[in-house]
Amino acid sequence: MSVAARLRARRVPGAAATVAPPAAARTATAPVGYVGLVTRAVAFALDAAIINLVALLTAAVVVLALSVIPISDALRTVTIAIGGTSYVLWVVGYFVVFWSTTGQTPGNRLLRIRVTAADGGRLRPRRSLLRFVALTFAAIPLFAGFLLILVDGRRRGLHDVVARTVVVDAPGGRHG
Amino acid sequence: MRVRPSLRPRPAAGTVGTMTDVRTLIDPLGLWPRTTRLAGRAEHAALGTGERLLLAVVDRAVASGLPRQVVDRLLDDGLAEHIAERVLTDPGFEQRAAALLESPQTGHLLERVLDSEASERLVAQVLESRLVDVTVARVLASDELWTMVDEIARSPAVTEAITSQGAGFADQVADEVGARSRNADAWLERVAHRMLGRPLAAEAPPGTGLA
Repeated sequence: MSVAARLRARRVPGAAATVAPPAAARTATAPVGYVGLVTRAVAFALDAAIINLVALLTAAVVVLALSVIPISDALRTVTIAIGGTSYVLWVVGYFVVFWSTTGQTPGNRLLRIRVTAADGGRLRPRRSLLRFVALTFAAIPLFAGFLLILVDGRRRGLHDVVARTVVVDAPGGRHG
Repeated sequence: MRVRPSLRPRPAAGTVGTMTDVRTLIDPLGLWPRTTRLAGRAEHAALGTGERLLLAVVDRAVASGLPRQVVDRLLDDGLAEHIAERVLTDPGFEQRAAALLESPQTGHLLERVLDSEASERLVAQVLESRLVDVTVARVLASDELWTMVDEIARSPAVTEAITSQGAGFADQVADEVGARSRNADAWLERVAHRMLGRPLAAEAPPGTGLA
């Protein structure tokens, strides 16, 4: 088989599946460790620290810049509204992008855990967004939605059940 | 064993008379002892004069710069290099040098030199001398030193070593935190199941299961 033929074969979507087994097949045979509440809470705390650190630094720069520019009260209100919206988008975007791409936020990567679909595949952005919304609802009743992790067979919280996801160990996840 | 003069055998009276007669016959004027002494003095004077003459010649030669010319000539001809090359390319040279360095006698000699009080005093004198202080101060003040330090600090090998050290430390911390949090997971689940009165589904190691 020539090099050109190999390159063409690599570009064919079906050809990749012949090299690596489908995610569902892989997870059906390989033992997977489901991750519990404490580890996930530590990872989430790290993510929250990163999110808020970046947000605080950004807000500090913006506030300092605006402090030397005389603006009206109305414009100030609009600026605050824009800032709040940006913060929400930043938080949502942070989780949705990381879950949809690598399945690992920086906090997850540090603790070597990964969010996957229940069949072991990668999450789509829509399902990641649904998971984030469900995560928010799970946190509202005094974090009761997370207590499900303690008793569920696959250590799933409310948001995992809603979005049909699981959180698994990712040994060597730092590189993948 | 010393023999007393009185016990030495004396020549017979007839023998002494015969020797005196022969000496008188050979040297009737008695010049032989004087001639011998004169020859000794002449030899001594000749040696002294020759020595002075030789030293004068050497002094003249040194003063004339002849040795320098000879050395320059040897160096210009490449003779010294040739000799050094011959010695260094000699296959047995390395072997002999290695044997010399590895010989126990060399080791013993080196040990004795290093353990001696004289060498200790010498090192202490060198270290306490003003020369060392001045040299160290000059080296520290030189720009070349700090340029070299900068070059070393910027070298890929050093930066890679520092990076890997930092990454290794982060990995270690992450592993430790991960292990402890997973133990906490298992403990919390045991507590929850005990409170609910439900036994754990399987006594699997913490954090493991089949998808």
